[in-house]
Amino acid sequence: MVEFTLISSLPFVLALLIVWPPVRALLGRGGQTLLLTSAIALMLVVYLGYFPYVANDQVLKLDLPWVEALGLHFTLYIDGLALLFGTIVVGIGVAVTLYTGFYFDDDQETGRFYTLLMAFTGSMLLLVFAGNVLTLFIAWELTSVISFLLISFKGAKSEAARVGAMRALIITGGGGLALIAGLLILSAAAGSTQFETILNTDLRSHPWYMGFTVLILLGCFTKSAQFPFHFWLPGGMTAPSPASAFLHSATMVKAGVYLLLRLEPTLGGSALWINALIGIGLITMLIGALFALQKRDLKALLAYSTISQLGALVALIGMPESAGIKAAVIGVLAHALYKAALFLMAGIVEHSTGTRNLDKLGGLRPLMPGAAVITALACLSMAGFPPMLGFVGKETLLDAAQPEGLLTTVPLIVMIISSILTVAVSARFAWDLFFAPAKADHHEHFHRPPLGLIISTGALAFMSLIGGVLLGPLIVPLIDAAVQKEFTLYLFPPEGLASPVFQTSLAVLALGGGIFAIRRWWLTWPDLPIPTGNQAYEWVIGAVNTCGDLLLRTQNGKLRHYLITILAGLALFIILLNFALGNLVQLRNLNFAFFNPPIDALRIVLILLAIITGLGAIILKKHLMAAISLSIMGYSVGGIFLLEPAPDVALVQILVETLATVLIIIMIARLSAKQREAILSVRFNHRYSVIRDVVIAASIGTVVGLFALIAVENRPVSSSINRPIALHYLQNTYRDLKITDTVGGIVTDYRGTDTVLEITVFAMAALGLLTLLTRPESRELIYGKAVQDIDQDFKKQVRLAEQAEREYEKELGVAQNERAESRMSTPLTRKIAALVLPFALLISAAHVLYSGVAPGDGFTAGVVAGLAVALWYVVYGYFEARERLNWLVPGRVVVLGLVLTLANAIMPEVFGGQFLEHITLSETWSPAGLHFASTLFFEIGIFLTVFGGSSIIMEAIAHPRELEERDIE
Amino acid sequence: MNEIFAIATGVLFAIGVFLLLRRDLIKVAMGFYVLFTAINLFFLAAGAFNASQPPYVQPIIAESVGQAIPRGQSSDPLVQALILTAIVISFGSYALLLGLINVASRRFRTLNNDEVNQLQA
Repeated sequence: MVEFTLISSLPFVLALLIVWPPVRALLGRGGQTLLLTSAIALMLVVYLGYFPYVANDQVLKLDLPWVEALGLHFTLYIDGLALLFGTIVVGIGVAVTLYTGFYFDDDQETGRFYTLLMAFTGSMLLLVFAGNVLTLFIAWELTSVISFLLISFKGAKSEAARVGAMRALIITGGGGLALIAGLLILSAAAGSTQFETILNTDLRSHPWYMGFTVLILLGCFTKSAQFPFHFWLPGGMTAPSPASAFLHSATMVKAGVYLLLRLEPTLGGSALWINALIGIGLITMLIGALFALQKRDLKALLAYSTISQLGALVALIGMPESAGIKAAVIGVLAHALYKAALFLMAGIVEHSTGTRNLDKLGGLRPLMPGAAVITALACLSMAGFPPMLGFVGKETLLDAAQPEGLLTTVPLIVMIISSILTVAVSARFAWDLFFAPAKADHHEHFHRPPLGLIISTGALAFMSLIGGVLLGPLIVPLIDAAVQKEFTLYLFPPEGLASPVFQTSLAVLALGGGIFAIRRWWLTWPDLPIPTGNQAYEWVIGAVNTCGDLLLRTQNGKLRHYLITILAGLALFIILLNFALGNLVQLRNLNFAFFNPPIDALRIVLILLAIITGLGAIILKKHLMAAISLSIMGYSVGGIFLLEPAPDVALVQILVETLATVLIIIMIARLSAKQREAILSVRFNHRYSVIRDVVIAASIGTVVGLFALIAVENRPVSSSINRPIALHYLQNTYRDLKITDTVGGIVTDYRGTDTVLEITVFAMAALGLLTLLTRPESRELIYGKAVQDIDQDFKKQVRLAEQAEREYEKELGVAQNERAESRMSTPLTRKIAALVLPFALLISAAHVLYSGVAPGDGFTAGVVAGLAVALWYVVYGYFEARERLNWLVPGRVVVLGLVLTLANAIMPEVFGGQFLEHITLSETWSPAGLHFASTLFFEIGIFLTVFGGSSIIMEAIAHPRELEERDIE
Repeated sequence: MNEIFAIATGVLFAIGVFLLLRRDLIKVAMGFYVLFTAINLFFLAAGAFNASQPPYVQPIIAESVGQAIPRGQSSDPLVQALILTAIVISFGSYALLLGLINVASRRFRTLNNDEVNQLQA
């Protein structure tokens, strides 16, 4: 079994090999052809060798559990039926692989096609060997996707190829969705996703039978091009001829037939099954044959003839007697051989004459005598002449349709009519192409087909003959293994001419010949006005496009409007939800009592201050004023934190607020004054727009406020002091970490992973800002120009910046000049600034070292040092500050901080501990009663990251290149 | 008292959302900043509140009993830890947002949100 699996995965291995250009170049076209053809031929021999093993109900199995809980297994289940289909795949595959090596003019195309061909062969084998519905489905979808790629093979040049590929993908993909739904319901009904279990379960009386059967049939009918989904197959004829021969006649379109055969023992025999299969199958068979007669294009003719044959196969599987199964299996084999040969022949004709139009072709026999013989053989088999394999197929077909038991005469009549038409179609292909007199002088461009094309096609056609003549020794064992039921198969009936089936066969041939003889008359008829699914498909696609266009009109591209829609929708949704669920808001225990009147009064004053300054940011029009108003809001909130009392948080808030104020003031100063004037002068265009915004803001505010109230009200309060979770931290921090600062303990240990992620986010935001404002690569984003324009632009900018830098350097020599003074740079401020940074770093060190026992931690330390750096940029200007700070590369500091943090987090794991486990190195560390533990390294990491990040932000906003640019504008 | 903080959260949220809906991109950035602050206030409201002492424990008592005892009535340490990291992140996001506005102003030559309509089909 392992050998079998390995050899069956050979096509995938080869596809991965061939997709690699150096391998293709090394092998050359001849090498590829030889390697792939011999590999597939080897597989054919191996598969044939396994037939004796599966002949007596033996099954080859391989089961690899994948996601056990979902019933997802990689399972192979190879019985006679699967092996027969697999043999057909590799058998036709040998011819197609050889053919491909001679078909394309372009080596590049050959390599591309071979890759897809091998991937398809592997997928198709997986499909037929699958032993689990999910394994089968994966392979099923793979074949659909590769079919799409092959139909659109010439899509770069041909619109028709793209449209056809899309149509095929939508139809088979849609069918695939129905199939997976059906298969999952089937698995639920059978209690297993494994075919082995499903096949031994009788599901015909299951209550869900109707549901999953209809869904599975939808999947099979779309894949096997049954009416009304058949139209994708003629549209798929833009694929190269070897792909049409392989996928769209011999193998992939038979996947639906295969699955029907596979599930027939479990699902077959019900009225639904019989009616659906026979009904749809017969309609498909008849209209396929009718349409085929009228086609001038060789491949379209073959495509409709294939549809007709697929219809016959589906109808046969629906026949209540086992004779139908036998006829279907032999039909699959016979059809694969002759139809693949004919598709390959169509490719040869197109290759040699440059056209596929029957009206322009004719009289090719003297030019291609070998091809004429091959075509004659294949067409004889298709028409059902004895002693071809196609004749055996037709006889079993007519035999199975005998009105017995449940069957009426309708199937028999339809099958006879379709067979007569098929005879005429075969005659048209062979006679009009090769034997009828030439109609045009297309022979000028004629060039002889390579021998490889003729040999590969001829092999298939001769198999049709040999299969018929040597039916007993060659074909019967294969069918026997696949059908697993008693049956008889013969070329000529024992009764001889007295057999009614034999008589019917001969009559069909004669009538078909008669219809062919009068073709001059019916070829001028207009197209049959039979509605097909194509109209419905076009209508649906058109409707989807129209809906898309309509939806696009609602997109005005204004971000504000999207935001309004989202926020208004959210508010409305929550209000409606509240009504629908009946008062979610039940506030009973609201307690506005003061705990400590003097402090609470102070808190309320600060809250009011925060709200008023927040409103100030709205009312004050000047940006600078609004920024200062916001800054006061931040400080008031810092005051609220201080009153909590939350000294750590208040410290961070006040420091960050200072930094944020510096940031926004510099940012406002950087923006073009003209643009700021312009935006300030914009008035509201509607009076109502303000009212609308107020209503939306008020609704969202109300929703959030109520949410907060509910949250506050529903806190679990177990003691008068604290919530249980807060109490937990207060009681355990010292015992676990030996530090007294509970907040620091939570940040560095209990919720340490949070902190690691949060400083990473901070570092990324800072690096993003640096990239946006200073990197030349972001220029395209900024200016929206093509790269070459930017290049010119950029060179100019760099020149100017360098010039400015030189000027600054000159200015440095002169201690006091006008520009320096305009930066508030007096000797005193310069001296003070020089002192501030070391002092700030000292404070940072204290914050980090005593983070466990006093307010302040890595965050505050980083922000304090960052503030000092900001001061340097303000006082010294960008270039001098950069020079003085040449020891500080903020990007490296950030990376160092992150690496230290991560190393500290992972280190315990190396020594058998857990991620971020707390390690106390020394409980107290003289001289200062300092707590020495792994959290200290964490705090240093936080400090470095925040310090580096803040420095990056300051460097980015102090970067002068943008100012220069603005002056140029 | 927590209830008053919850209501203040709602009011600040409304102010922030109103700022978000302005045309002026600088005001939009300020709106985000107000929202960040409002959310921090919400965390504070969700915490325990009737405290008179910061969340530090007394190690001396702790060592004798084997368990640390809060000094008096401690404030809620968990919400403080959450706010602590949130403040720094808010600052980073605010800086990035202002940088993006800077870029938008140069790319589209405007600070008017309505004139930045490259999304239009």
